[in-house]
Amino acid sequence: MSEWQYEPAPDLDRDLSERLRTFPRQPHLWMLLARSIAAILIRIWLRIYHRLLIEGDEHIPANTSCILVANHQSHLDAPALLSCFPLNRLHRVFPAAAADYFFGSIKTSAFTSIVINGLPFDRRAKGAESLSICRSLLDNPGNVLVIFPEGTRSLTGELGRFRSGIGRLVEGSSIPVVPCYIQGAFDAFPKGSRFPRPKRIRIRIGQAVTYDHLPCGRSTVQTIVKDLHARVLSLAPSN
Amino acid sequence: MKWFEIGGDPVLWTYTWLVAVLLGVAGSVLLILQYGFKKPMRSVWDTYRGWLFIVPIVFGALWLGRPATIVGLAIISTIAFKEFARATGIYSDWLYTLAVYVGIISTMLLTLAQDPRTGELGWYGLFMATPVYFVALLLTIPILMNKTKGQLQRVSLSMLGFIYLGWMFAHLGFLTNSGNFYGYILYLFFAVELNDIAAFMFGKLFGKHKLRSEVSPNKTIEGALGAIVVSMAMPLLFHFSFPHFGTLELILTGLIVGVGGQLGDLSISFIKRDVGVKDMGASIPGHGGILDRVDSLIFVAPLFFHMVRWFHGVH
Repeated sequence: MSEWQYEPAPDLDRDLSERLRTFPRQPHLWMLLARSIAAILIRIWLRIYHRLLIEGDEHIPANTSCILVANHQSHLDAPALLSCFPLNRLHRVFPAAAADYFFGSIKTSAFTSIVINGLPFDRRAKGAESLSICRSLLDNPGNVLVIFPEGTRSLTGELGRFRSGIGRLVEGSSIPVVPCYIQGAFDAFPKGSRFPRPKRIRIRIGQAVTYDHLPCGRSTVQTIVKDLHARVLSLAPSN
Repeated sequence: MKWFEIGGDPVLWTYTWLVAVLLGVAGSVLLILQYGFKKPMRSVWDTYRGWLFIVPIVFGALWLGRPATIVGLAIISTIAFKEFARATGIYSDWLYTLAVYVGIISTMLLTLAQDPRTGELGWYGLFMATPVYFVALLLTIPILMNKTKGQLQRVSLSMLGFIYLGWMFAHLGFLTNSGNFYGYILYLFFAVELNDIAAFMFGKLFGKHKLRSEVSPNKTIEGALGAIVVSMAMPLLFHFSFPHFGTLELILTGLIVGVGGQLGDLSISFIKRDVGVKDMGASIPGHGGILDRVDSLIFVAPLFFHMVRWFHGVH
């Protein structure tokens, strides 16, 4: 009689604060439940208080993995982008969140991992490691990665320079990238303000684009970054 | 049924004082060892801090009375199963995990409910029949899912998880329906922990021969025998917990705790070794998982329960 194969959870010997920081996270029933409830409440808040408007969500590929690329103005961005997805896909959407900021204390890491489903992204030293985590995440069909390529919230509301990480992630792969522009989040809840103001938030989602036809290389990374910057900017309301 | 019946029981008072004094003494001894004799005590402090965390919660629930105690036991049982499920891997199959959660909660509800025929607290008949319904429920899952691959393993692990960590543990909850609720429960908590500590101490002092080298290499025959001696003496010293017990019941109580407690410990040990993990979790700092803490209690609870029921009934 051959033996049974057990699969112990890899984070079995870690305590809660470590478990919240490790990625990929082991799914927990209570966490999924809490996230679903939080998502419903956040959606109600965004729809009523911020009169959230979503345009073009049909451009998001339904069953394949994709990367959502958006401008970053406020802490409301990630919850607003999560609201573009149906609730049954919620647990497969992972906004990349700065590890140093969002996974610093146990309180913020609990909030980021439970409510936002954030992926701890090291924006300083281990960029390559974080990118490989992102790649393996996207290998699982249906998973969605949300990236703010500016790397931080805009201080002026203008679209800043994109970092090269998104280019390195996308080059040579056939993952569709969906550009988005979030408008109004800067007026509603800019960096440094304490409570959101009741301003309208509008999300415009553009056509998905792939870059697998480009050869790999440094120039391609720059091309991709520039192209995505232009695509996100073209969704801004003045254009 | 009263939801809260705060405190007042003399046995509860006695144990509260006893444990408070013991914690105080242990803390002082540790302080003296660390600062007086400069001994490195880090891991012992971790375990001690763990106790400072566990004891107030346990006594808090007991002081709040029967329903709070049952709810507390249900929470412990659920977490213990969760640890078991995460260690063996059935946790990733949510249907089975959910089924066991539902099983654990309904079993605990049956200990809380009233028997509709007799009006007594705790629906004994249905409580004893829960494994029947639960096994039937588990066997239905593969049929409903129309799956076969690996289902026998999932069904078997869920069955063990429910029957051992849910139903057998729930006997402790059923004991709360007894008029001597505090005496029974507190004695079991106290004696089982003391049995563990005695096995450890006797093993450290006199241990030479391995008890079960494959299952748990650190346990010794000397430790086990010492623990049984301590556990046999305990019912005499703590006779105030169950003044109606005769000699036979006292002997049986000693044997159940002394032998059963160590078997409980060893059974979780072999499960851990087969699965290939060191601890069942990291819920309590300094103690490992909750399951590592309550393993002996789970084994002892139903044996003690049925002994009590045979001689004195549980109401």
